[in-house]
Amino acid sequence: MEAAPSNPTHNIISTAPSSVATHRNPLRVDWPTVDGPLGLSEQESVDHARRFFKFGFLLLPWLWAVNCLYFWPVLRRPSSYYHPDLRRYVVRSAIGFTVFAVILSSWALTFSVGGEHLFGHVWDKLVMYNVAEKYGLTGWI
Amino acid sequence: MDENAKPRSVLDSLGEEIVRIVTPVSICMLLVVILVSVLNNDSDSSGPSFTSIATVAYSESSSDSNWDKLKGALLNALVFVVVVTAVTFLLVLLFYFRCTKFLKYYMGFSSFLVLGFMGGEICLFLIGKFRIPIDCVTFALSLFNFTVVGVLAVFMSKTAIIITQGYLVVIGVLVAYWFTLLPEWTTWVLLVAMSLYDLAAVLLPGGPLRLLVELAISRDEDIPALVYEARPIINPDSVQRGAVVQRRVWRERRDNDIGSDENLDSRSNLNSTVYSSLESSTGLESLPSIGERNAVDVEDGVDVEDGQVSSSDSELAAPLIQHRINVRMNLQEGSSDDFALEGIGLGSSGAIKLGLGDFIFYSVLVARAAMYDFMTVYACYLAIIAGLGITLMLLAFYQKALPALPVSVLLGVLFYLLTRLLLETFVVQCSINLLMF
Repeated sequence: MEAAPSNPTHNIISTAPSSVATHRNPLRVDWPTVDGPLGLSEQESVDHARRFFKFGFLLLPWLWAVNCLYFWPVLRRPSSYYHPDLRRYVVRSAIGFTVFAVILSSWALTFSVGGEHLFGHVWDKLVMYNVAEKYGLTGWI
Repeated sequence: MDENAKPRSVLDSLGEEIVRIVTPVSICMLLVVILVSVLNNDSDSSGPSFTSIATVAYSESSSDSNWDKLKGALLNALVFVVVVTAVTFLLVLLFYFRCTKFLKYYMGFSSFLVLGFMGGEICLFLIGKFRIPIDCVTFALSLFNFTVVGVLAVFMSKTAIIITQGYLVVIGVLVAYWFTLLPEWTTWVLLVAMSLYDLAAVLLPGGPLRLLVELAISRDEDIPALVYEARPIINPDSVQRGAVVQRRVWRERRDNDIGSDENLDSRSNLNSTVYSSLESSTGLESLPSIGERNAVDVEDGVDVEDGQVSSSDSELAAPLIQHRINVRMNLQEGSSDDFALEGIGLGSSGAIKLGLGDFIFYSVLVARAAMYDFMTVYACYLAIIAGLGITLMLLAFYQKALPALPVSVLLGVLFYLLTRLLLETFVVQCSINLLMF
């Protein structure tokens, strides 16, 4: 696997990780992206995170999730470690994704578990396989 | 981290590199086989309503004699290969006139079509088959998300490598599934024809793919194509402080590389850079034909009822493999101009790139074998992986772009025929007589 520079705590035994992590070991660069040296540099990351965060408002929670995945080291480390803007955007993406996911999954679960008891006739009209049949959506292939 | 006692040789990373390219190919094949076995149970032969460019000359019906089917299949394959050749030449022309932005947007558009429409349809098939109680709002939203992020990840910007690789595999799966809807004889003859075409197009001096590769290398640009790149193995010693591994994401010119070549001082943080390129990769060809074919359909207002939505395939990168050699700046050879021709030396790590067209045709072969029986699947899978291994070895020898289809597909077809005609009767008879299970 690619060698993401190891956490400086590996070099020091039995000290609290947080105290070491607050000052950066000058010989190691910590990559903000999950790809390590193959990913973006820190300056590009800020632009990237901002762009993805703003794009996500177009009803794209998955984009926020991908953003968080990409900058996972930023979320993991304590807040003073990276550029403050970068962390702000990533954290906001994470919050946005969680909120959206909760809303969407609660609706989807209500719909699938509730079924006809809860919704009545509307259920049949909303469920996907009926919609697909009605509009002939599977006939393209 | 401690220094390694002995320098890393190429053998240390060779196995890992091969695994990193064989894994996504296997995953793609597995997914298509699963899709095919789940969805195609009811109809063994695809209905006559399936029309596409590949069946324009002859559409097979089960009542024809074998000889008629063979003739029809040959005609179909011929038409297909001619269209593919024409479109590849068109791509070369466009690339020659530097219409890369157009190509890029066109490819983004086709991957949008593949992920959105074909992905959506296959999901609808699955939902219909399993009666999953999902409502249309959730479905539409999820599909929209999936598609948009996919187009972004593959073309527009840089995301986590795993996401990009995942989406490329998904695109491969979707297109391969579409190909399995073709009639049987046509599929097999098409596979053989495409591998012969691939061989010719990459190795002959006038072949379109070879022209494209040479153009790209001479201009040092990336070909707009859908290419799967395995994650390069980073030598821990070669990435020093502040070094950013340069990946070419749709850049016209290498700016950073040349900069770091010339003034190592001014760019103190680029002490050593390891190059690897991503999506659009030099020397990887695309199979624009299929895509371009759809271009015609798409622009005329796709007549979707005729099933011409086969979109995509476009840039599906055709069958080429190129072993990208990464150059370490510390080595004084410095000239990172022609990475493709550097030898495998100490400390260099290459990122193997495989065109998406290869993924697709391998998966089509295995899926077709799955439509007969699982025994043929195992045999064809082994044949394809063996062919891939042979191609990688040849790549290591020749150090230039090679066609990845011929060896694997021809071996696969051979094994399929042998298994179906000979091995199956043998094994079945043995099992029936309780000799071997």
